[in-house]
Amino acid sequence: MTAVSLLILASFFTGTAAVLGWKAVQSCEKYRWTWLWILCAFVCQSLVLGERGALRGQCPLGDYGEILVFLAWSLSIFYFVTGPAYRLSLLGLFSTPVVTGMQLVAILPGMMEVAPLKAESIDPWNETHAAMSVLSYGAFALASVAGVMFLVLNKKLKGQQSGLGQGLFGCLPPIRSLIDSVVRLTWIGLVLLSVGIYAGFRMGVEGSGTHLWIAIGVWLAYIALLGIWHVFGMTPRKMASFMVVLFVLSLLVFAQ
Amino acid sequence: MEILCLGLNHHTAPVEVRERYAVSGTQQGTVSKEMTSIRGVNEVVVLSTCNRTEVYAVAEDLEQAAEELKSHLGGGKGVKKGDEEHFYLRYSRAAVEHLCRVVSGLDSMVLGETEIFGQVKQAYQQALSTAATGGILNPLFQKSFGIGKKVRTQTTIQVGQTSVGSVAVDLAEKIFGHLKSSKVMIIGAGEMSRVTALRLLERGAKSMFVTNRSYQRAQDLAKEMGGEAIRFDDWEKSLVEVDVVVSSTGAPKAVVHAEQIERVRRKRKYRPLFFIDIAVPRDVDPAVGEIEEVYLYDLDALQKLAEEGKHQRKKQVEVCQSIIETEVESLLERQRSKL
Repeated sequence: MTAVSLLILASFFTGTAAVLGWKAVQSCEKYRWTWLWILCAFVCQSLVLGERGALRGQCPLGDYGEILVFLAWSLSIFYFVTGPAYRLSLLGLFSTPVVTGMQLVAILPGMMEVAPLKAESIDPWNETHAAMSVLSYGAFALASVAGVMFLVLNKKLKGQQSGLGQGLFGCLPPIRSLIDSVVRLTWIGLVLLSVGIYAGFRMGVEGSGTHLWIAIGVWLAYIALLGIWHVFGMTPRKMASFMVVLFVLSLLVFAQ
Repeated sequence: MEILCLGLNHHTAPVEVRERYAVSGTQQGTVSKEMTSIRGVNEVVVLSTCNRTEVYAVAEDLEQAAEELKSHLGGGKGVKKGDEEHFYLRYSRAAVEHLCRVVSGLDSMVLGETEIFGQVKQAYQQALSTAATGGILNPLFQKSFGIGKKVRTQTTIQVGQTSVGSVAVDLAEKIFGHLKSSKVMIIGAGEMSRVTALRLLERGAKSMFVTNRSYQRAQDLAKEMGGEAIRFDDWEKSLVEVDVVVSSTGAPKAVVHAEQIERVRRKRKYRPLFFIDIAVPRDVDPAVGEIEEVYLYDLDALQKLAEEGKHQRKKQVEVCQSIIETEVESLLERQRSKL
């Protein structure tokens, strides 16, 4: 199967998970099979990355399409790592549309090089830098998803709105669990990004190094955010909002 | 042989009548067995809760059996004058449907409540253990439990809370998750505070502070709750530690103001704080609810949610009734085909 076919199949799996999960929530039922759909999508994503990696002869992060698939792949990994642990079964419902979107954008014409150049040599630091950095973005993306879930529930609770025990809101985890997850996922992302940035320095800075400096800026912003949270404290709403905004801004790294 | 249901409940009889015909929870089996000795009565299950006393029986002559059973319930001397009108009597299919409605919580004071399911099961088990049931009531009760489960899993009859206290506790869980790591403060040692505090304890709240203008009353309530009494002048200091505050004083003006919360926000590291204000006039200044990490629910807000919970449950009654009718029809069909 070609990369495009596999990505269409992966999008079908994650899209189905999103639709069925949403329908279940609407009828006040818990949907138990999100993990299976994501697992199927994860297999497809892995095959695409494996195929692209073989073509490039290195970590498949050479174009926007590959970066998006790698991000989708890391989001799937973090769903498996954190979902059951933090009782955030609904994280799948919120992240599957994001993953589907990434996969569908990745198959747009021009996003993936048809015949990428094969690398003549492999720099392990370069590989580590690329893989760890994108993986960290997976964790930050999931933290943002948990942040959005927090903001939605918080608005409902602050506004004394009805329907808290029904449908989507009845299934959402408590806001304390959500904000704890935001913080934990940000820590995981930060550790991975630290390794990625360290590897970036070891591989040597090419050109103006704007990409690396933006990555350092992102790293510092996340450190500042977690520092303020743990040392001085911050309202959970601000923490969740900053996480979402910071994640969107941090995507600028990929523009360089 | 037909099934009959004779009884009285909170819809038909006031408590002073219901208590006259109540059967002790541990005696339901014995009384069921006694009733099977009535001529023409073959099987009996007696169900007695605080809201109802009902006798399900299999008999030859239903009207005569009903009179005898009523007399037995009245201690062998018949029912007291004037109590007759509080009894209801259902035969055959209506009796079967009634049992299913009872098991499903559709006939309960709090629509959709689940406690009744266990109570019916217990009553049936007692009757079964004394051999008061047989080939008709056994499959009927087993089927009714299946229908009760189906109603609860296929509808939202038990979703949403219908009382102010339960709504408040549900909200606390929506904010903090399991309450075992949450600290609670009670301001005002009145009955409303006591009831809400008890609900919080039932759901796992471990640590409780009680404050009241009369320190003695605070101590009494704290002792009952296994908590700690705080002098009324000192409650602000404890605000740093707590997650949930239940306030129900008789004060004519607000006792909790936004400035008091502002003073402790930083020390609390802006952790969420949930105020349950069940006092009238309100104890908590509405400005408190504008603080970002504070969730403030007063009596009106809680009552509104409880009313919505009731409304939601009522909307489900038709769906439940339809499930019951379909299931009862298939049960009766099977019984007819066996004959």
